[in-house]
Amino acid sequence: MKKIEAIIQPHKLDEVKAALIGIGVEGITICEVRGHGRQKGHTETYRGAEYNVDLLPKVKLDMFVKDSQAEQIIEVLSAAARSGKIGDGKIVVSSIDEIVRIRNGERGETAI
Amino acid sequence: MKALRQSGTKRRKTLVDLLGGWAKLTLAAGIIAATLIPGMAQEPKPDPAGIVTGDRTTVIDAGGNAFVVTEPTDRNTPDYAQKKKDFDEFQSQAAKEPLAVKLADTVGHVRVATNFAWTLNTGYLVLVMQAGFALLTCGLVRKKNAGHLMMLNFAAYVFAFIAYYAVGYAFQFGAVAVNAAPTNLGGTPTLNHFLLGSGLWGFLGGKGFFMAGPAYDAGSNVYALFEVVFMETAGYIIVGSICERISFWSFLLCELFVGAILYPVFGCWVWGGGWLSQLGNTMGLGHGYVDFAGSTVVHAVGGFCAMALSVVLGPRLGKFGPDGKPRAFPAHNLVYVVIGTFILLFGWMGFNPGSTLGATDLRISVVAINTNLAAVSGSATAMLFWYMKFGKPDITMACNGMLAGLVAITAPCAFVGPASAFTIGILAGLVVCVGVLFNDNVTKIDDPCGAISVHGFCGVLGALCLGLFADGTYGAGWNGVGATSYLGHAGMGVTGLFYGDTRQFLVQVMGAGICAAWAFGATFIVFRTVNAVKSMRVSKEVEQEGLDVPEFGLLAYPEDAMHATSVS
Repeated sequence: MKKIEAIIQPHKLDEVKAALIGIGVEGITICEVRGHGRQKGHTETYRGAEYNVDLLPKVKLDMFVKDSQAEQIIEVLSAAARSGKIGDGKIVVSSIDEIVRIRNGERGETAI
Repeated sequence: MKALRQSGTKRRKTLVDLLGGWAKLTLAAGIIAATLIPGMAQEPKPDPAGIVTGDRTTVIDAGGNAFVVTEPTDRNTPDYAQKKKDFDEFQSQAAKEPLAVKLADTVGHVRVATNFAWTLNTGYLVLVMQAGFALLTCGLVRKKNAGHLMMLNFAAYVFAFIAYYAVGYAFQFGAVAVNAAPTNLGGTPTLNHFLLGSGLWGFLGGKGFFMAGPAYDAGSNVYALFEVVFMETAGYIIVGSICERISFWSFLLCELFVGAILYPVFGCWVWGGGWLSQLGNTMGLGHGYVDFAGSTVVHAVGGFCAMALSVVLGPRLGKFGPDGKPRAFPAHNLVYVVIGTFILLFGWMGFNPGSTLGATDLRISVVAINTNLAAVSGSATAMLFWYMKFGKPDITMACNGMLAGLVAITAPCAFVGPASAFTIGILAGLVVCVGVLFNDNVTKIDDPCGAISVHGFCGVLGALCLGLFADGTYGAGWNGVGATSYLGHAGMGVTGLFYGDTRQFLVQVMGAGICAAWAFGATFIVFRTVNAVKSMRVSKEVEQEGLDVPEFGLLAYPEDAMHATSVS
């Protein structure tokens, strides 16, 4: 079982969600986050004084998937979230030991 | 103000003409003073019911000529014979047509009533500007201080009004009938005594305290309503500079000071018939110091008072970095900023055209269009300036540019043509942009909403522009100067440097300088002292947290704090 985390541009959320549901992803959790990458944001001026916009708004997705699905999801997610410009985000994949469905105590892949 | 002072001043001007010369001027001042000291002469009665105000004597034609011809008193004047002939002719006609004279009483009453309606309604428009200021300044500050800003704006109206009611109105207009009677409103003859000075050298009005007694009068109350909302404008301006760090108690002191002393004193000098307005008569300086609707009387007084207070308070925490570089504290709501600016523009349609104090003065249309032209050219200039300098036009500076144009056209709006108004707006747009950068980078005076640049710098610019661009088409007889002819032309009004009157420009420079010095100096001395006794700033912790909760117990947007409070 894998946990896939992705940090994407907020305006790409709808496309990514549709693409993932299209290939059979069962559940997604998202949250609104702020952060920066290598560019460290950018500067703007307000009434002539400069200020940094260094923590930009992003959306973070979490999903738990079967090992066999992982590669396809990475491919589809990257394609849907890509604009080709700086700030498109990252995908992180990690292995997980156990999943428990709280309602009935199911464990492992059936709990996904 | 304003145009309506003309015929009041004409009467006195006649006397000056008769005497002529410096020595006799002093004598004239003495005579006027003697006749005006309460108790020594028969005092005019106030008219609280408004049934006596406006009769045949207020019937004046478009050229400013009175229907009733008064009897000439001095046989030594060169035109005595002509005047006596006119008087006799009027008397014989009046005797032949008594009905016409009776009808003239009604016409005069209706004329004054028309002007009452105009002045009151434009006054209500100026009142709406308070809402514009509240939105503009609130939008320009950080979210954590939004409630505090709204309370400052609200309390400003309330407390400055009370101060103006108690003493401010009397200080400013207690002697208005001496040199500057608002004849469009019936002349307010009961407000006729200077507390300090007399005649052409008046320094402080002395009648109408608590708007009672001589000020309990229909004409005086129209004037009071219109003038109190002007004073409130000056009272609001200071909020834009001192916000986000001033404590509420010291802010109330500031408002009482502005409403009772700072604004009325300079207002008396320029609009109350005081010494600055009479410099044309006393020193031969053009039409005396002229400010039609208050570039200096209202805006520069507010702007330089704000500057002094900002210096006393010091900048907001973190406004300037360790290297002295200014930091940005972006506006929390640009929607408020833009809506506030448009409400101000709308209110200005009362501020400037209303300052004729009468709809019977048809110059109001020129004033209205001039005001709008300066607003758009000021805003366009500020937008383009920022576009070229920083790559993006700044919304808050575009709004400041519009207000800058409005402030600068306020003094000259009645005396210039549309092309000059447009030019004045451009100059104001440049001044406000440079002013904001100058305060941030050179003087290091923290001015969160740009009040010093918009109202202070552009207010002075407005007074100077009057001295440059006034084209002489309007204001014949202004402040008692040039009633019959000026610069050799009959009907020539207030004239600027570009149209041939150097002395008008000189007196404008002088008056604007005195305004800035008075507003900054008096405020600085008083509040530097207050601040030395007890700090006018909130504590460092309160400033960092935001002033809403520590000062008033509730955030403007309380849902922001819900994570920190129990809501279950």
